[in-house]
Amino acid sequence: MATSIDSRKLFSVIFVISVVILTTLNNFADANKRKQDVNTLSLGERVQQLTDFSNKRPIIRMNVQKFNDLVKGTPRNYSVIVMFTALSPARGCAICGPANDEFSIVANSFRFNSQIYSNKLFFALVDFDECGSIFQSLKLYTAPVFIHFPAKGKPLSQDKMDIQRFGVEAEAIARWIAERTDIQIRVFRPPNYSGTMALIIVSVLVGGLLYLKRNNLEFLYNKTAWGIASLFIVFCFTSGQMWNQIRGPPVVQRTQNGISYIHRSSQGQLVIETYIVFLLSAAITIGMILLIEAGKGKGDIRKRRVMLVVGLGMFALFFGMILSIFKSKAHGYPYSFIMS
Amino acid sequence: MAVSTQAAGNKKSKDSNNHVSTKSGSSANGINSKYVGSLSLITFAVLAIAWITGFLSRLFSVIRFESIIHEFDPWFNYRATAYMVEHGFYDFLNWFDDRAWYPLGRIVGGTVYPGLMVTSGLIHYVLSLLNIPVHIRDICVFLAPVFSGLTSIATYFLTKEIWSPGAGLFAAGFIAIVPGYISRSVAGSYDNEGIAIFALQLTYFFWVKSVKTGSISWAVATALSYFYMVSAWGGYVFIINLIPLHVFVLLLMGRFSHRIYTAYTTFFILGLILSMQIPFVGFQPVRTSEHMASAGVFVLLNAVAFLKYLQRFMSKQEFRHFFFFASVTAAALVFVTVVGLTYAGFIAPWSGRFYSLWDTGYAKIHIPIIASVSEHQPTTWFSLFFDLHILVTTFPVGIWFCIRKINDERVFIVLYALFASYFAGVMVRLILTLTPCVCVLSAIAFSSLFELYLKDDDSPKTDQSSRNDNLYDEAGKVRKMPHEQNKDENSIGGNLRIIVLIAVLFILLLFAVHCTWVTSNAYSSPSVVLATYDQSGRQILDDFREAYFWLWQNTDENARIMSWWDYGYQIAGMGNRTTLVDNNTWNNSHIALVGKAMSSTEPKAYDIMTSLDVDYVLVIFGGLIGYSGDDINKFLWMVRIAEGEHPQDIREADYFTAKGEYRVDEEASSTMLNCLMYKLSYYRFGDVRIGGYTGFDRTRNSVIGNKNIELTYLEEAYTSEHWLVRIYRVKKPHEFNRPRIPRSARQIKTKATLTKKTSKKRKGTLRNRPVVVKGTRSGSA
Repeated sequence: MATSIDSRKLFSVIFVISVVILTTLNNFADANKRKQDVNTLSLGERVQQLTDFSNKRPIIRMNVQKFNDLVKGTPRNYSVIVMFTALSPARGCAICGPANDEFSIVANSFRFNSQIYSNKLFFALVDFDECGSIFQSLKLYTAPVFIHFPAKGKPLSQDKMDIQRFGVEAEAIARWIAERTDIQIRVFRPPNYSGTMALIIVSVLVGGLLYLKRNNLEFLYNKTAWGIASLFIVFCFTSGQMWNQIRGPPVVQRTQNGISYIHRSSQGQLVIETYIVFLLSAAITIGMILLIEAGKGKGDIRKRRVMLVVGLGMFALFFGMILSIFKSKAHGYPYSFIMS
Repeated sequence: MAVSTQAAGNKKSKDSNNHVSTKSGSSANGINSKYVGSLSLITFAVLAIAWITGFLSRLFSVIRFESIIHEFDPWFNYRATAYMVEHGFYDFLNWFDDRAWYPLGRIVGGTVYPGLMVTSGLIHYVLSLLNIPVHIRDICVFLAPVFSGLTSIATYFLTKEIWSPGAGLFAAGFIAIVPGYISRSVAGSYDNEGIAIFALQLTYFFWVKSVKTGSISWAVATALSYFYMVSAWGGYVFIINLIPLHVFVLLLMGRFSHRIYTAYTTFFILGLILSMQIPFVGFQPVRTSEHMASAGVFVLLNAVAFLKYLQRFMSKQEFRHFFFFASVTAAALVFVTVVGLTYAGFIAPWSGRFYSLWDTGYAKIHIPIIASVSEHQPTTWFSLFFDLHILVTTFPVGIWFCIRKINDERVFIVLYALFASYFAGVMVRLILTLTPCVCVLSAIAFSSLFELYLKDDDSPKTDQSSRNDNLYDEAGKVRKMPHEQNKDENSIGGNLRIIVLIAVLFILLLFAVHCTWVTSNAYSSPSVVLATYDQSGRQILDDFREAYFWLWQNTDENARIMSWWDYGYQIAGMGNRTTLVDNNTWNNSHIALVGKAMSSTEPKAYDIMTSLDVDYVLVIFGGLIGYSGDDINKFLWMVRIAEGEHPQDIREADYFTAKGEYRVDEEASSTMLNCLMYKLSYYRFGDVRIGGYTGFDRTRNSVIGNKNIELTYLEEAYTSEHWLVRIYRVKKPHEFNRPRIPRSARQIKTKATLTKKTSKKRKGTLRNRPVVVKGTRSGSA
């Protein structure tokens, strides 16, 4: 018993000491750096500086001088992956935010699981609003751009990551880095709790609602609500919302003849198109329900006749419509109904 | 002249017409319960017609081409069936196929759902007992169309239990001709789904019946039918999750009853034991997450039953709290146990294929081989409408009325519809599981409509008849004349009725015509034999069989053929040669190796090919005739799958142009122009002149970038008539690897001429002949 307490004390003492040492070292390094922040730096100093920076923060935020010293300065024996971006909200760069998140995932993963290469590869960030001159000197007109500054020589054309093709996901960036530098980075995403949180919140809300209404649970037996909910789900799936979810098609398509809402081939679909189909199939279903309700022998006859005519109209007309959309997509389909 | 099938479906529309009108007639008569005899006659007639129509509409390919097995997987099923018929059932179960997955081989008996083979083998056996000699191939070809008739009968019974006999007839008619099901069951499409949908519907019918009656015998029938389903198709997992879900939802709805208890416990235990008898399934039902829902619900149901038992001994107030907490605890306990066992490793987590159903991005990132199959893509609304037509918009009506008039078995069909529509939205091939319930629910919708509108317009009479029946004689009633009915204040009026009927019937007619058109145009191509149409009429391209026949006749019996996995089953089935990979994609790294060989340069590919003992390489090339399903179009998947296993050697980006396009012309990247697949596809193609260009690829509409392809390590062995299949022989090292020997070192063999023509010595002499020293026998012997 006594020994265990002793060892615990010992550990805590060691911990405190090591923290103290680390902080002093850090300060010392900072002081060093400040002292030596003159124009030309030797290779060892640069590496040391970069290592220090990246120990503080995995992505080094660059200014013009740092950039010229550390990224463009020669000789180098390390690679730098620089993201050129425009993060300030005023620039309105929609993709820069997510790209930044993904980039920092890569940088963090690198830092935590590739210790061997820790002085071979660094991650840096250049913001347009802080140092626009770098953008001009590199002739960059878009953001975000990922450029790999290799250990030897200048960046080649392949050293600029093609985000059009690869996307900006962390895995893609890591693969590209592996391609350019032969350093494999296993991407560790911080586990995404947002889905779980949303689920918990929803279930708490539902549970709370049920608890508040525990004396009056009649609404759970409301068949109309259940029916509408089920139909909504079914229409979502049959109108191809899952396809939209997975493939992410454009909302509308611009062609020479103006905006088109319907994809012309049978292989694809547009978002608007699926909404149209959703509404059309809902209308057909409602029409048929109205028809059947009108046929049942109860209720005011005039009302029933109106229901019947409306129902039949919806059923036939919208079916003709959906069929004509179908026909326009299936080339060579011979049949149509009401409208061609 | 691009390969396409022609729109010719006039002949069929006639009997489909017939079909629809018969159905509607029957449901009208079905109301008059007085005529029991005629009712059963009509039921029988409609089902028979549905069977015949369903059978006939699946015969397009047999009539247009011949009685032939289609596509890819059916070839394996056929080969396995033929093996079973030849060697017997037990040899089939123990069959180790050394002609597939060289050098690994495949344990066929343990990796196949044997239901299909056993079914057709049984039919063959019975027929031969009856002295009806039928070749097993014909049984295989016509099995799916025959079973479609059984499916419609099973669907009739299911719908009858859920709604009404009239709706049942409608459902039987729908499922007989709906393209969503025909797509998997045309003649020649000898695949598991053909019989599995029948087993599915039968299981559901028995299940609904056992929930309604609570009888053990129906539950046993459910389990037996489930056993058949397990033996037939991997989709049985859908049943073993849907039925527990049904029970669970019934519990939630407070609809617990002893009928459900009897039905489920019987089904679960028997079904579990029976399903484990299939070698391929084995211990999965107790070891994998896909099956855990059924076990969890089993425990929960027993817990609820126990609580209900305790209820007798408690006061109401006590019980209410107790019940709530106990059931929540039981549910939580079950859940925690399953999760705990999963973590502890006793239960395997979800397999990739099932997991990709929930996390739709999963397959694309982790399992390219699943993502590469076109039928695993998500579904556009177009394909749903294409496969289901009007039904896809009317089956929600059925859901609506089922929810309005809910009871135990309608909960089932609603759940089925909801989940199946989700799955159908995620994967194209799962439209198949949605189709039966769409037919059932649409049948309910149409049947309720026709029931109301085909009835004679005598609403006042029906209002009173329930009361009056006991008081007055039937004969005493005076039927109103039609003109009187129209003036009736509470009726809709004959004209409106007729308009509604005509409109709906016309739409149904369109449905029948659509089904025929789709079947004829989209689903009736064997894809082993292709057809093109031009001015001179139809031309048959029989390149595949030509090439496979060549392989069979001209190569060594043990020759090993390398091709992309799509053609593995066909090479084995038609060419009877050993393949490296086939459509049973169980070993991803082996496939990746073949993909790597195809996407490497010739020397690197040669190393892989020698290490795998490849004798011939087979590629499919559609550039000459414009066939789009060829290997160059599939090539990117080969690259991707290879990259997944060998990221150092293969990079997808290398196969694109600088702009990121996939091209084969001069702008293509040098990696692309020099990879094995490119070379083998376009070898000698630069000499072919089509319409003024040489080397013009009609599939990709471009002139190829490398016209002078030279092969060092392979030589062309065979190219079929339209260049669809090209076969190359892999040279042995001595055929190309002949180092130059200096002249001085060469020994020229000359014919040893006999110079001495003495009569005594006619033999030639050998220079440097070893002198045989004859020993002397030692000793006296």
